[in-house]
Amino acid sequence: MPNYKIHQNPVRNEWLEKIAALENVKDATAFLQDFRMKYTTPLRTSYELDVDYLFIEAKAEERLSLLKVAAFSNEDLLSMATTGETAADVAQAWMPKLESEKCKFTGERIHMEFRQLYKPPVLPVNVFLKIDSYLGSRLMELRNSNYYDCSLDELREQRGVKVLMLGDAA
Amino acid sequence: MALSAATKAATDALSINRAPTSVNPQEVHRWLQSFNWDFAQNRTKYPTKYHMANDTKEQFKLIAKEYARMESVKDERQFGTLLDGLTRLGAGNRMHPRWGETMKVASNFLEVGEYNAIAASAMLWDSATAAEQKNGYLAQVLDEIRHTHQCGFVNYYYAKHYHDPAGHNDARRTRAIGPLWKGMKRVFADGFISGDAVECSINLQLVGEACFTNPLIVAITEWASANGDEITPTVFLSIETDELRHMANGYQTVVSIANDPAAQKYLNTDLNNAFWTQQKYFTPVLGMLFEYGSKYKVEPWVKTWNRWVYEDWGGIWIGRLAKYGVQSPPSLRDAKKDAYWAHHDLFLLAYALWPTGFFRLSLPDEEDMEWFEANYPGWDAHYGKILREWKALGCEDPKSGFLPIQWLAENGHQVYVDRVSQVPFCPSLAKSSVTTRIHEYNGQKHSFSDEWGERMWLTEPERYECQSIFEQYGGRELSDVIVEGHGLRSDEETLIAQPHVRADKLWTIDDIKRANCVFADPLSAL
Repeated sequence: MPNYKIHQNPVRNEWLEKIAALENVKDATAFLQDFRMKYTTPLRTSYELDVDYLFIEAKAEERLSLLKVAAFSNEDLLSMATTGETAADVAQAWMPKLESEKCKFTGERIHMEFRQLYKPPVLPVNVFLKIDSYLGSRLMELRNSNYYDCSLDELREQRGVKVLMLGDAA
Repeated sequence: MALSAATKAATDALSINRAPTSVNPQEVHRWLQSFNWDFAQNRTKYPTKYHMANDTKEQFKLIAKEYARMESVKDERQFGTLLDGLTRLGAGNRMHPRWGETMKVASNFLEVGEYNAIAASAMLWDSATAAEQKNGYLAQVLDEIRHTHQCGFVNYYYAKHYHDPAGHNDARRTRAIGPLWKGMKRVFADGFISGDAVECSINLQLVGEACFTNPLIVAITEWASANGDEITPTVFLSIETDELRHMANGYQTVVSIANDPAAQKYLNTDLNNAFWTQQKYFTPVLGMLFEYGSKYKVEPWVKTWNRWVYEDWGGIWIGRLAKYGVQSPPSLRDAKKDAYWAHHDLFLLAYALWPTGFFRLSLPDEEDMEWFEANYPGWDAHYGKILREWKALGCEDPKSGFLPIQWLAENGHQVYVDRVSQVPFCPSLAKSSVTTRIHEYNGQKHSFSDEWGERMWLTEPERYECQSIFEQYGGRELSDVIVEGHGLRSDEETLIAQPHVRADKLWTIDDIKRANCVFADPLSAL
């Protein structure tokens, strides 16, 4: 738990300095992807920035957007990822990943990783939404089929949670 | 300049299908129906498990001109009454002060719901493929814009005319600290606009509007009138006249997917989750606002709830959809228990956390307490006993330095926040359907208060990542948090929130500071 103010706190200031030092699309993309893998989604490796990560992520996205607009042609803004891949190639690589997937946990990992790696401004919004909507729809089908088949105990085990307390109200 | 594909398609269609020369609305409607598009390639940008049929009808068949004429008449009546008759009568300052505070919550929160409903119905417009169905959703987008303005105007009106405008004028600035905000955003924002587009329709139209607008927008007008408020009925009943169209849209959403075999796999699960999401917040909050935020009682909340939620919606409305495979949600049985006790549980916690609000709460007086005990046998021995003790300890008096949230901690009553609904709960004091579950997952601890929400989180954890106020502010002193969270009036000393509705003995930030109340996250201690 951070014992500091929510706005303009030392952690945010430290990250703002790191973000301001990013000077090209390649570095900013790598920075943003690395940050998202470490600090966003339930798959994150650390909750250390739990109350600050959305602010920091937004500022990193803002920085990458500005660098991208300065470096990309109008045509590339709609068709290229900042990783150097074409947006069409990214779509071709990721959309089939959930096509035949049967496991909802693997499915959610694929979807979350796609978002961590390619959420705009890494991918152009027009292509991101198309892929995200497709992956999201497939994941929803996996998660919502036979929704009540497992007991809560089984679901907890499948999810891999550690139960700390279970009990009725006094 | 080259014509866009859409403009060319419209121009070509007009040249083949000439506009009618008469002004018969039905003829115009038929003519509009003849415009259609090929949606085979026009996949919505929103995810959904369902396929909406391309020939779905819309019940109201309103065209824009008729719609605008009808709504302008309603607006003229409403604003004319407010700005002339009711202003001359001084109606904005004639309600019981408890109710004046209740409306700070009701009108501000409903405004958020209406605002998100604009996006929700626009999302459905994008997702539907039938032109008529799109027309129905489009009319709803316009309705929701109107309703957002109306709710905003209620706050504006009260801010001008009510004797204590703090909270009506700028409630949103306290959104980071008020414990009721996050749950409200869960039902009124996330529930309406995130996730499966059809599930959002179920949240908004099938549950939010068909089920809870009756108590939220209609019952509230009875309570308002009983407590001297003529503003709320004037505006809210005008809003409710549009809700029927939205309920019809929800019905047509179900009709549009009824023939899709896949729908039967998902529909009842989505309905149950949507119902539980909505009821988990509205059942306690509406009951608390009506019964504790009024002086003159209309009827016990549990009766209103049984009539409109359990019988009218769960029985009759859902019964009409049975032919499409829709079943009453299994979580109704737990919700029924919540309708009896959950609002009392919530009042205890809301009162304990009063300094973080943007409105004033007041303790029930002896007459209120008799009413509670008569209508909720067992209330006095549990809730009444605690509230009397808090009063005796001076919870209303700034000189006492007594804050009920500290009393809870000192007496071993931990307050958790449900990760899914964001509604706070206290396991050792709750009489509602609360059952505590605390898990650790990937290094983070999560608390839940019921099996339905726990299952929702176990299935889709990324949807429920909102931090609780204890996680945000753990370790920090309360007055510091209030100042940072804009909980002070324009004198920069007096709190917007107060634990009473008197004109004197207002708590200042120095009174809070003297209490030395430090936020602690109960999850971190586990």
